[in-house]
Amino acid sequence: MIVTYNWIKEFVDCDLPAAELSHLLTMLGLEVERMEEVGGGMDDVVVAQVVEKNQHPNADKLSLCKVDNGKEILDVVCGAQNFKAGDKVALAQIGATLPGDFKIKRSKIRGEESCGMLCSEKELALSAESSGIMILPEDFQIGTPLFDALGTKDVIFEIGLTPNRADCLSVVGIAREVAAKLGKKVHYPGLDVNETGAPIGGIASVEILAPELCPRYTARHITGCTLADSPAWLANRLMAAGIRAINNIVDVTNYVLLEYGHPLHAFDFKLLSGGKIVVAAAGEGEKFGTLDGQERELTVTDLTIRDGAKAVALAGIMGGGNSEIGEGTTEVLLESAYFNPSAIRKTSKRLGIHTESSHRFERGADIAGLTRALDRAAQLIAELSGGKVAKGVIDVYPAPVEPRVITARLARINAVSGLALSATEVEDIFRRLEFEVTQTEAGVFQVKVPLFRVDLEREIDLVEEVVRLNGFDKVPATLPQASVFSDLPSDDQRLAAKVKDLLVAHGLNEVINYSFVAPSSCEKILLPQEDLRSNGMVLLNPISDELSVMRTTMLPGLLDTAVKNVSFRTLNLRIFEMRRIYLPVEGEELPQEPLYISALLTGKRDLEGWNQGKDEIDFFDVKGIAENLLSELNVGGVNFSAEDLDPYYHPGKACRILSGKKVLGSLGELHPTVQENYGIATPLYYLELNFEALLACRKKQGAAQVPSRFPSTFRDIAMLLPRELPVADVISCVNGVKAPELEGVEIFDLYMGGNIASHEKSVAIRVRYGSKERTLTDDEVTRLHQRVIDALQKKLNVSFR
Amino acid sequence: MKEQLEALLQEALSELGQASTEEGLQELRVKYLGKKGAVTGLMKGLGALSAEERPLVGQVVNTVKAKLEETLDARTADIRGAVKAQRLAAEKIDVTLPGRKRPLGSKHPITLVTEEICSIFAALGFAVAEGPEIELDFYNFEALNLPKDHPARDMQDTFYFGESVLLRTHTSPVQIRTMLKQPPPVRIIAPGTVYRCDSDATHSPMFHQIEGLMVDKGITFADLKGILTLFISQLFGKDIGVRLRPSFFPFTEPSAEVDIACVICRGKGCRVCKETGWLEILGSGMVDPEVYRHVGYDSEQYTGFAFGMGIERIAMLKYGIADMRLLFENDLRFLKQF
Repeated sequence: MIVTYNWIKEFVDCDLPAAELSHLLTMLGLEVERMEEVGGGMDDVVVAQVVEKNQHPNADKLSLCKVDNGKEILDVVCGAQNFKAGDKVALAQIGATLPGDFKIKRSKIRGEESCGMLCSEKELALSAESSGIMILPEDFQIGTPLFDALGTKDVIFEIGLTPNRADCLSVVGIAREVAAKLGKKVHYPGLDVNETGAPIGGIASVEILAPELCPRYTARHITGCTLADSPAWLANRLMAAGIRAINNIVDVTNYVLLEYGHPLHAFDFKLLSGGKIVVAAAGEGEKFGTLDGQERELTVTDLTIRDGAKAVALAGIMGGGNSEIGEGTTEVLLESAYFNPSAIRKTSKRLGIHTESSHRFERGADIAGLTRALDRAAQLIAELSGGKVAKGVIDVYPAPVEPRVITARLARINAVSGLALSATEVEDIFRRLEFEVTQTEAGVFQVKVPLFRVDLEREIDLVEEVVRLNGFDKVPATLPQASVFSDLPSDDQRLAAKVKDLLVAHGLNEVINYSFVAPSSCEKILLPQEDLRSNGMVLLNPISDELSVMRTTMLPGLLDTAVKNVSFRTLNLRIFEMRRIYLPVEGEELPQEPLYISALLTGKRDLEGWNQGKDEIDFFDVKGIAENLLSELNVGGVNFSAEDLDPYYHPGKACRILSGKKVLGSLGELHPTVQENYGIATPLYYLELNFEALLACRKKQGAAQVPSRFPSTFRDIAMLLPRELPVADVISCVNGVKAPELEGVEIFDLYMGGNIASHEKSVAIRVRYGSKERTLTDDEVTRLHQRVIDALQKKLNVSFR
Repeated sequence: MKEQLEALLQEALSELGQASTEEGLQELRVKYLGKKGAVTGLMKGLGALSAEERPLVGQVVNTVKAKLEETLDARTADIRGAVKAQRLAAEKIDVTLPGRKRPLGSKHPITLVTEEICSIFAALGFAVAEGPEIELDFYNFEALNLPKDHPARDMQDTFYFGESVLLRTHTSPVQIRTMLKQPPPVRIIAPGTVYRCDSDATHSPMFHQIEGLMVDKGITFADLKGILTLFISQLFGKDIGVRLRPSFFPFTEPSAEVDIACVICRGKGCRVCKETGWLEILGSGMVDPEVYRHVGYDSEQYTGFAFGMGIERIAMLKYGIADMRLLFENDLRFLKQF
């Protein structure tokens, strides 16, 4: 909503400077989003008179002028031709800054000095187009700042209105708020209509066939109009509000729309068949040509304004081309009606037409005050077009609406707000808002709310009005009295944060991808059509096809991120994302949204540097991260299986992660085809873990272990194994030796090739022995170690080296 | 004999002075003090002296021996020191070469801001609640007093999967789910991902919000102001200006937008705050009785407040990020700064 400072002041006595008025509006809930001075800071553009106009000696298309600015005669070079000596013109003097930050400087144009510029309307932002420079009226005083002379110095406020405040979609509405805040009265303009025409009853008639969609329809008739351009004061205000001036009749309806907030429509009465108006639903499939030149197909839920033969307007939204005011219009039927908000909204939405008119009707117009707008517009049209207003008003209003009376309790107002207002203060606020108030008992108000306040229906609405007008700044800041107890963050929330901390500690960077992906993403990671994950939920109205399916796996997002970073030559990536995936559930409206831990790594293991390792990341880097994570979260029974892998993995370099038999996730090198599909040169390693599944498999934290006070002893074993035998079997075989002194075992070497036969591998393990009671003797260790060697030989048939 | 000893001492001292290695010193030690050394040899000659002379000469021998040992030790220490100094000088490295670094991970700025906000509210006794991102119309709109074809639905461009299934446009449905699950009092905070079909420099189709809700007996609008003022002072510093200004949300009344003094220009007016000196960071208000009706709370007995804020907005202000899209481009050169 756009209003101007001067326009508001027409309706309320307000001596606040514009900036303070802007603040006052904002603090009333009418947020001023933009404030712009019209003609402000342009006092260096003055009225001047052309004294001489001569041909520029060096340029055919330029003239060399002598211009009087009231103080001196200046030389000015000008490119326009539409003026002569003696004309009053707009002179931008040296030092002036024109819109668009265009600074006027002394300059030489084709060898001739120019001390300023003669301006066009366009250069002064007074109109969008102009031909030649601006020629000013003769009575303008030379030397006066132009915008003072034009009387158009003003401040534009652009207000971001909340959708509940339909009553403030007008200058009067905003002035009413200012008046209420300042404790002043609104000056409504005199509404005496000079009715010099014949009685309207004999000229036109109105019939409402759909009273639930149009509870009230009023009309006036004006004859003898002469179509012309609107006067500057009117056109300027329309322009400030962003509305194009058309002619003196249409412009008046727009002007009154801005002033009173009530949409009006003017018909060329001669084009109305039978001189009558019928308000009725459209026929199914009825074709109708709106003012904007488009043909619309209507349905029975659309409300139309019709004459004796056809539709002439789409009620409350847009008029028809067939009854438009235009050249040749002399007789006008002016409509001011009330239309059902949701009906207007439905039609406007369905047809995709949003107008100043529909915007207001769908938020709720003032059913009582609509004749004020009608009278104001009729009078203005008559004045500006020389027409005569017919006697009387047609007012079809079968079931007049009574203003709502709402009960409001003082105690409730103070209890909700935390204020301590008195009954007198509250009553005063209500009166300032033009509400009628009676107090039926002490502290209980009966408040009659004017019909323009469509947003006020309940006591709580009045509570808000009181707090708002009293001022949010007057509300104290207190802390609530609440019970001491409160829930601590749950385990899940704490652990989710811990997972992120652990991944960061492993050098991973967190990324956040959109939750929606391209439909092709599952195919790109080789998931078959029949996989549940290839059937994610599809958005009906996505931003783009690339963002149209809810992700069912974290992998495509991470791959997209990898591709993007590789394109920026960030080649070594360690990224993670811990967010939800969306899995549709058969027979349920809502999907499951499990939280997933996912990570993708590629490139060099270490940072690149003069003394850093140059090794590539491999399977065991990502497995190590998973092992650390599961161990830190105390997940029990963790095992890894190379069976049943997802198709996006390299079949020989990946595994599923389980706790007992429960699948927690998977990890491994991605399939080379996936890597090719995304065009990444280095192998990619991926990890995914279902966070909730992992939580369900946590062991209870055991008591802390006391370390032994005696040194341990290490013994190494080097052995040859069949290449196919998993090393995990060696470890579990060693661990299977039941001896409390056996403290641990680790693999410290693995070797294949060289002098080792191709079907074998060399593995070296280090076993640790110790006791909590004493230092073990060499004999004791040797005996224990022999048990380990025997076990390996017996169970796995390894040969020792 | 005494003279002999003096001459020997002088000779030995001179040689010690000339020795430049530990080995050289060792040789001299053997030469003079070893079993066959010169001093030892002289001492053997003591037996040939008279009983009167013997103690006198013996004393001189001991003095010479002590002097030699002392000098030997001192020279050894000198030479060792010099050798060490030489080694250290040779070991000098270029300390301007970069150190060997482990890769450092980072959390996303959205995560950092979310954690910070949650911890402030945790200290104020708010528990964390969560809800689904794919929601039913009922929880996202209907129960929040946003009936079908309400103009306020235009404020939120919604992604739909069907008639009644959508991507939540705000975290407010968590309020409804929480209140339907438990009787008052309620004191929760709900961080989460939300969606609106809008995409430009200041809008992302996916973004994050944190919702807060407190319902109990006797909670007032003044309490809302108190809690939010406290929160903002924790997040942005004690001296930051805060103002509440009237606004409209269908699920609260009275409703307030909360502005903070512009953190860029300190309230003077700049491009970021559109010359107003204020930045909008929060929407809030007293829970509307209509919402209580939907969840079965008695609005005469209980009052409360709700608030919601965009995490991206706060992250952008805290870290001086001008374009929201940067937060979702996942450019590691950007993310590694956090």
